[in-house]
Amino acid sequence: MQEIIRAENVRKVFRLSAKQRKLEHSTTGKKVALDGLSFTAYEGEIYGLLGPNGAGKTTMLRILSTLIRADGGDAYVAGKSVTREPEAVRASIGFLTSELKLEDFFTPAYLFEFFGRLHGLSAEQIAARKGELFPRFGIDSFAEVKVGDLSTGMKQKVSLVISIIHDPAVIIFDEPTNGLDVLTARVVTDFLRELKGQGKSIIVSTHIFSLVEKLCDRVGIIIGGKMAAEGTLAEVTGGEDLEEVFFEIYKKAVGEV
Amino acid sequence: MNNILTIIRKEFARFFRDKRLVLGTLILPGVLIFLLYTLMGSVFFDSEESYTVKVIHSSPEFTALFTPEEGEKSQIVFEEASAADADSIKEEIRAGNVDALVVLPENFGDILAGGFVPAPMAPNIEIWFDSAHTSSVSAYSLLSSVLDAVEDTLGSLYNINVTAGGNLSTAQEATANYYATLLPFLILTFLYSGCMGVAPESIAGEKERGTIATLLVTPIRRSQLVIGKIVSLSCISALSAISSFIGTFLSMPKLMGGGIGDMLASYSVGSYFALFGVMLSAVLLIVSLISILSALAKSVKEATTFSVPLMIVVMLVGLSSMMFTTSSLGACFIPVFNCVQVMAAIFSLKFSAVNFAVTMVANAVYIVLLVWILTKMFESERVVFGK
Repeated sequence: MQEIIRAENVRKVFRLSAKQRKLEHSTTGKKVALDGLSFTAYEGEIYGLLGPNGAGKTTMLRILSTLIRADGGDAYVAGKSVTREPEAVRASIGFLTSELKLEDFFTPAYLFEFFGRLHGLSAEQIAARKGELFPRFGIDSFAEVKVGDLSTGMKQKVSLVISIIHDPAVIIFDEPTNGLDVLTARVVTDFLRELKGQGKSIIVSTHIFSLVEKLCDRVGIIIGGKMAAEGTLAEVTGGEDLEEVFFEIYKKAVGEV
Repeated sequence: MNNILTIIRKEFARFFRDKRLVLGTLILPGVLIFLLYTLMGSVFFDSEESYTVKVIHSSPEFTALFTPEEGEKSQIVFEEASAADADSIKEEIRAGNVDALVVLPENFGDILAGGFVPAPMAPNIEIWFDSAHTSSVSAYSLLSSVLDAVEDTLGSLYNINVTAGGNLSTAQEATANYYATLLPFLILTFLYSGCMGVAPESIAGEKERGTIATLLVTPIRRSQLVIGKIVSLSCISALSAISSFIGTFLSMPKLMGGGIGDMLASYSVGSYFALFGVMLSAVLLIVSLISILSALAKSVKEATTFSVPLMIVVMLVGLSSMMFTTSSLGACFIPVFNCVQVMAAIFSLKFSAVNFAVTMVANAVYIVLLVWILTKMFESERVVFGK
């Protein structure tokens, strides 16, 4: 199996504001988000980062997408270092999270073209991708409607197609189904399977057990910024229910739930 | 390079396709300034205005002093009154029906003919007015200035500029000097308000709405994004400033009583190029500064709040040319101040190529530095994700 994403001992510490310090009962003024996190994802599979809120999933994915920098360690996406070659990394990934918003003022068609150009695609390539992706997600019917006038589900579909406009080899989705209705969530999970079928490598973060069980080939359980367990779904669960296994691991790592 | 153009095109599309933005930033400033200045001009310089003045013990010699020159309309309408009515006239002045009351000595004609009388024995002319009424004040100043001037020429030790003497400045220089004090301030203010209209929205707004992160996950370099933003915002700010200018120029004749043609013709083509260069560097400086403040801010509202102290500083610097001008080379290294000084020099026809060159180079260095800072800020997660 070919390695596609490798995180090596990644550390990330956030400085807390005075207000946050009080809320977190912290005396040091620092919060360790990632405490030497390492994992490897292989080509052509779906890797799931599972963990509670605040475990460091989003931080790790933001480091992989080069939006933020690691304080220690390094990560490689398709052989490129996120710290040394951020532009090359960004060119090879599609990153989707509910935090990445589209400008309300523009239409999906305009934004698709705009982001296509930023990814260095030619007008013909953009038109071809549009012809493929817009009908696939039913965006045709609202391609000329301003994003501000679209429903949450429609917006998510537009964000999804824009994130993969350049047909990236690696796809990073942060909480891909969060806040979506069941229909749109289904469209997203079906599409992830389809991408896997095309040989893409996918990494998703989630706290939804069923999503991991349904989709992921391998899973890494993050607790408190550290990898608590990693392996194929079968290796991690040992045939038991993932939710039960998770709480066992969590108890061991943190104490009581 | 392509990415920079893509960003610029998007920023233009964002602006020019939004009717409200175009109306609010490009059309309204010019129209409002034109209306405001025209209104102010017609209030302050109403040449049609005439005053009603009642005169007790009037004499033809007195009214003759106010005879208008040929072709002009008389500004004062004199009405004779008797000494017994003095109190009722004063009431009318307070009511605003009459502008002033002049009580002349009974023998005013003889006094004019007789010449100098030593101070203690000099007869008194009473002028009653009410400072609560603007027209009453104007009538008073007109009356007293004419009477003063007449009194000065009658048997004084010497006169100033009565038979000879005068201002040697050409009309062109006088106009130039006038604009040198006013225009740098107006230009800076217009440029600043243009920037205020677009930069916080484009940087803090994108941050607030989470759309900037979407841009940052594309392969675009942070520096390309920053340059694209600054170039497009500068163009839009400059357009907004130009709109304000057109409004100002069109209303100038009303406001100042001067012609635009006279003023525009006083400057050479070279001065216009130099002016364009200085304004370009000023707009880039201001856009970069407001962009940095906007990147620090968490919301558009905060960015606007941050920009207000900077606006006060920039406007004070703009006012500096009204108080003093300096040709010292050291001043050319102070950003914004150097723009004001060079603009003042251009407008007062004292353009120095060396100062201009130093200003342009110094500002170019500052702009590169500010772009670099903004690039570093866009690389910082505290700036991009700071909540």
